[in-house]
Amino acid sequence: MARHDEGVVTVGRSRTGTIAANTVGIIFGLLMLFPVYWVLNTAFKPESEVKSFTPTFLPIHPTLDNFKSALGEELFLPAMVNGLIITAMAVAAALVVGFLAALAIARFAFYGRKAIILVVLAVQLVPFLALLIPLFLMLQRAELTNTLPGVALVYLVLLLPYTVWTLRGFISGIPRELDEAAMIDGCTRAQVFWRIILPLTGPGLVATSVYGFIQAWNEFIIINTLNSPEKQNLMAWLLYNQTERGTAWGPLMAGAIITSIPVVIFFLLIQRNIATGLTAGAVKG
Amino acid sequence: MYAVDTPPRTSDPAPQPAPKKVNRVRRRSQREARTAWLLSLPTLLILAGLLAYPLYRMILLSFQNMRLRELITGLTPPWAGFDQYTKALTDSVFWGVVARTAVFTVVSVTISVLLGLGVALLMRRVHSKVRLFMMIAMMFVWALPALVAAQAFRWITDSDFGILNYLIDKIPGVDFANHSWFVNPWEGWAVITTLVVWAGIPFLAISLSAGLTQVPKELLEAATVDGASAWQSLRSITLPILKPLLTIVTTLSVIWNFGLFTQNWALRDGHPEPVYQTLATYSYTQAFGQSRYSYGSAISVITVLLMLGVMAFYIRQMFKIGEVD
Repeated sequence: MARHDEGVVTVGRSRTGTIAANTVGIIFGLLMLFPVYWVLNTAFKPESEVKSFTPTFLPIHPTLDNFKSALGEELFLPAMVNGLIITAMAVAAALVVGFLAALAIARFAFYGRKAIILVVLAVQLVPFLALLIPLFLMLQRAELTNTLPGVALVYLVLLLPYTVWTLRGFISGIPRELDEAAMIDGCTRAQVFWRIILPLTGPGLVATSVYGFIQAWNEFIIINTLNSPEKQNLMAWLLYNQTERGTAWGPLMAGAIITSIPVVIFFLLIQRNIATGLTAGAVKG
Repeated sequence: MYAVDTPPRTSDPAPQPAPKKVNRVRRRSQREARTAWLLSLPTLLILAGLLAYPLYRMILLSFQNMRLRELITGLTPPWAGFDQYTKALTDSVFWGVVARTAVFTVVSVTISVLLGLGVALLMRRVHSKVRLFMMIAMMFVWALPALVAAQAFRWITDSDFGILNYLIDKIPGVDFANHSWFVNPWEGWAVITTLVVWAGIPFLAISLSAGLTQVPKELLEAATVDGASAWQSLRSITLPILKPLLTIVTTLSVIWNFGLFTQNWALRDGHPEPVYQTLATYSYTQAFGQSRYSYGSAISVITVLLMLGVMAFYIRQMFKIGEVD
């Protein structure tokens, strides 16, 4: 048995064990994928097939009707545009504000640094739903309920702690020697920031903003509570759809696919960073 | 894997200046500190305004009695002292919710972490193509929004047209046609748990398998040559090295599962029956469904307090990491 995979132990492994492991692995993968597959399968079925007591494992008469009917719904387009606007506002604000704080934590040694780290980590763990009541009251007083900026503001807070923490990781990944070399060559702190740290954090900014996008795009209960149907995002639209016409499975599954396409694409692009970002440094800690 | 692979870096090249430079160094570090605080200020202000203040308002609200009337008129709600807390803590329904949330958390986290670890270990054993397939499958599951995943499970377990009933019905002698999965809470909770575990495995398995690459393979091979069983190697080599990561992913799972909301909300059409209420849905339905804003706040405060124990552990672990960087 010649196996040369990185870090895989090869001593003392039996052939039957490997076959068993491979079989279990394949079954596991299939089981994991099944619900995803079933959503896809249903979305392409005509209603007669969806409402059949003997489910078909492939659409016999594949159709795009479900997508058409989902897309054609009155509130679909506004919900999509609203979601994009809210998400863009929240992510942009979180990046600008969070980057500055991340820079401070990663590059400056100062009294209070630990306190800021602790605050950023602690607030990340407050169950956000618990704050919905006072946030609702605050936004109501500021006349920001049922507006897009109101929701964006709430999402900003939702994204900020993660943004700071992840960007901190990216910035401290840039060798400090680069800063020092530039300073010796006569650069000021500001020049170091513009010419070295900002360009080198580029991939980190992309990864963080994509993660922020996913977070904000997936949220539904806050926006559902704060806004009326015309000011919803696609997730809330999906839920709204469900109660309105709970049995229209085909369009619902088609809607679910449309809603998750951006998330799935973005997620697959940055999955490596998500895994490491979430557990940053956990092993060595 | 920038954060996992890099060796610990000492925080700052602790300057040891000569005596006459002291003043200049101190002035410089004061200026640095001012810049750092200035950079952190926007974040701190936003967190104070939209997190700390609402937190304070929530606690305040829990000692008042805010109902729909006060919400509409904007009048200051009357003070209620500990009434909301007394009401919650003497209510068997509330304790039922607490117990249900706790049991669900323990059960679902235990299953998820064990399965996640199992999958991570399995991924080291399988052929690289199988490993790739497992990764792709998990990535799709992970990427699926929670609400969409919940809709998928709602469809699969649908009493009339669900594939689950159809497949079980195929077993000879079993009649599952039109079986409703949510009439019996044990079955309903089994569906919810399956959904949560299914959706949680990718994060756990992929994080843990990233952690497993840190286990030196020479050590494992030496152990095998010396006659250690797979179980012994796992217990004495792999798990101790994996422990910090296991702690973090377990704590995160506890926090996430304790706050279970989306799955119940979607599976129960936005109206979870009493037996499907968790602390998160209960607080929400009390506040926004019944207009008992203060009661909902009190439940939220209790939830936060209950979570503090777990959170303290997590923060300590994360804080250690923060110190190293």
